[in-house]
Amino acid sequence: MAAPMELSCWGGDWGLPSLHPESLTVMAYAKFSGAPLTVNTINKSWRAPKGDVPVLISADIVISQPAKILNFLRKQKYNADYELSAKQGADTLAYIALLEEKLLPALLHTFWVEAENYRSVTKPWFASRIPFPLSLYLPGKMSREALNRILLTRGGPPPYSLTEVEAQIYRDAKECLNLLSKRLGTSQFFFGDTPTTLDAFVFGFLAPIYKVCFPRVQLQEHLKQLPNLCHFCDDILTCYFRLTVAGHSPAGQDTADANLQKLTQLVNKESNLIEKMDDSLRKSPQHPPRKLTTLKLAAGGEESSPWNRLSP
Amino acid sequence: AAEPWPENAVLYQQLKEEQILLSDNASSLAVQAFLQMCNLPIRVVCRANAEYMSPSGKVPFIHVGNQVVSELGPIVQFVKAKGHSLSDGLDEVQKAEMKAYMELVNNMLLTAELYLQWCDDVTVEEITHPRYGSPYPWPLNHILSYQKQWEVRRKMKAIGWAGKTLEQVLEDVDQCCQALSQRLGTQLYFFNKQPTELDALVFGHLFTILTTQLTTDELSEKVKNYSNLTAFCRRIEQQYFEGHDRDSSATVAARSAKRSLLR
Repeated sequence: MAAPMELSCWGGDWGLPSLHPESLTVMAYAKFSGAPLTVNTINKSWRAPKGDVPVLISADIVISQPAKILNFLRKQKYNADYELSAKQGADTLAYIALLEEKLLPALLHTFWVEAENYRSVTKPWFASRIPFPLSLYLPGKMSREALNRILLTRGGPPPYSLTEVEAQIYRDAKECLNLLSKRLGTSQFFFGDTPTTLDAFVFGFLAPIYKVCFPRVQLQEHLKQLPNLCHFCDDILTCYFRLTVAGHSPAGQDTADANLQKLTQLVNKESNLIEKMDDSLRKSPQHPPRKLTTLKLAAGGEESSPWNRLSP
Repeated sequence: AAEPWPENAVLYQQLKEEQILLSDNASSLAVQAFLQMCNLPIRVVCRANAEYMSPSGKVPFIHVGNQVVSELGPIVQFVKAKGHSLSDGLDEVQKAEMKAYMELVNNMLLTAELYLQWCDDVTVEEITHPRYGSPYPWPLNHILSYQKQWEVRRKMKAIGWAGKTLEQVLEDVDQCCQALSQRLGTQLYFFNKQPTELDALVFGHLFTILTTQLTTDELSEKVKNYSNLTAFCRRIEQQYFEGHDRDSSATVAARSAKRSLLR
């Protein structure tokens, strides 16, 4: 069997296993394909690798970019694309290119370039996870790299105006979200009922936009208007990452915790209710009146479908 | 109300025989193919400073009436505003797919072309540097070449392609061609019987790769591996480019000149 595999990546918050899109993609793919991956989130210790993140370490092999990591996992027979046809594989490549060209600049901008977001959320969060002297330098470097990337791929020849470039990348990102929503339609995953590489990439890019609470959130608001994409993210989080209350918010957003608790209780309540409804439909009409009233109350309280989620 | 397409629309690109490079030629051919598919007449004018005349710094650009639009994406939208569109018959999911495949071509093929032209030392020395600055006197030709090379290398570094070797880039090209080939399958065009802007873009890039002679043939070999793609290029060439004033031969063969373009 393969040597044990370790993944080093940025940790998570706000209900996500990781804030970093590429780390999230790799983690999602590992869950989809069933690869046994031990995840080490980068913490303040000096031993954690600081270079390209995420990094997969298996025996003596060190692999750093998401595409290469996914290739490695496929070679180890953890393949989530097993049932895809050739055309669907081609579609996967095309949609990933779309994500990288249209959505990634805006994602980078929201996280690293938008001044208010960067100062109040991104920088403190990343700085708190990097050991001391580096924490003064590394977030700034990541921010400069993000701005560089945006300007080099999207900016025109100088003199250009940064606001125009920003407007254009957000327009492109919103169009990309619309296209993804249309492509997903009403199905649970992009290619049928089982998640594949494309689902991992889309999840990796969408989940940070969806969940992280920023002061300036135009992209998140646009995403929330596309309910099928929101359900897509939530489904993957609950089914594959099984986040519970006791899990994952070390930086402790109390409201997020409380919401998550409410959510878990609601989900449990609803699954109990469905069982009860099922039983009551099959058995005789006589059942204790208390159960009827709880059923009625709950049925009135539900808004649309049993799987309606609270958004944090 | 949209103005009709004027008769004197012009497309500007760099000098065909001496100056233009692989990636710019591909983009220019894509726009020409698109306009031919829409049946809109356009005249091609070659200027040495086309890159600097363009509003976004990229060639080709078109001068229609009193408007100047550059690059395929904005040109498609501009043409649509005038009332001509190739992708109206597609449904929403197909439009999403078309946009995704266009991004795939831009992301992989165009970037690979740029890499080959500007980051592969052999090609840079033998082909790119002499060609890029050829209309200008010394030392301007060297300065402009180096400046452009520095710019492109910065971009490659920012998107993570600087660390790739030529073999990896060629492998990416192969993957992209495989995806395009699988998507095309046995159909005439990518979306059924009618060509769209995706067909124009793919044609522009693949035809240029197939007919441009570089220091090695590896790039064109990658494309030639997929027979449906070469047949696709030939078909579009015959349908939209024959019988025009171009000194072309009907076969997809490179001439003996160091870097010749089949036009």
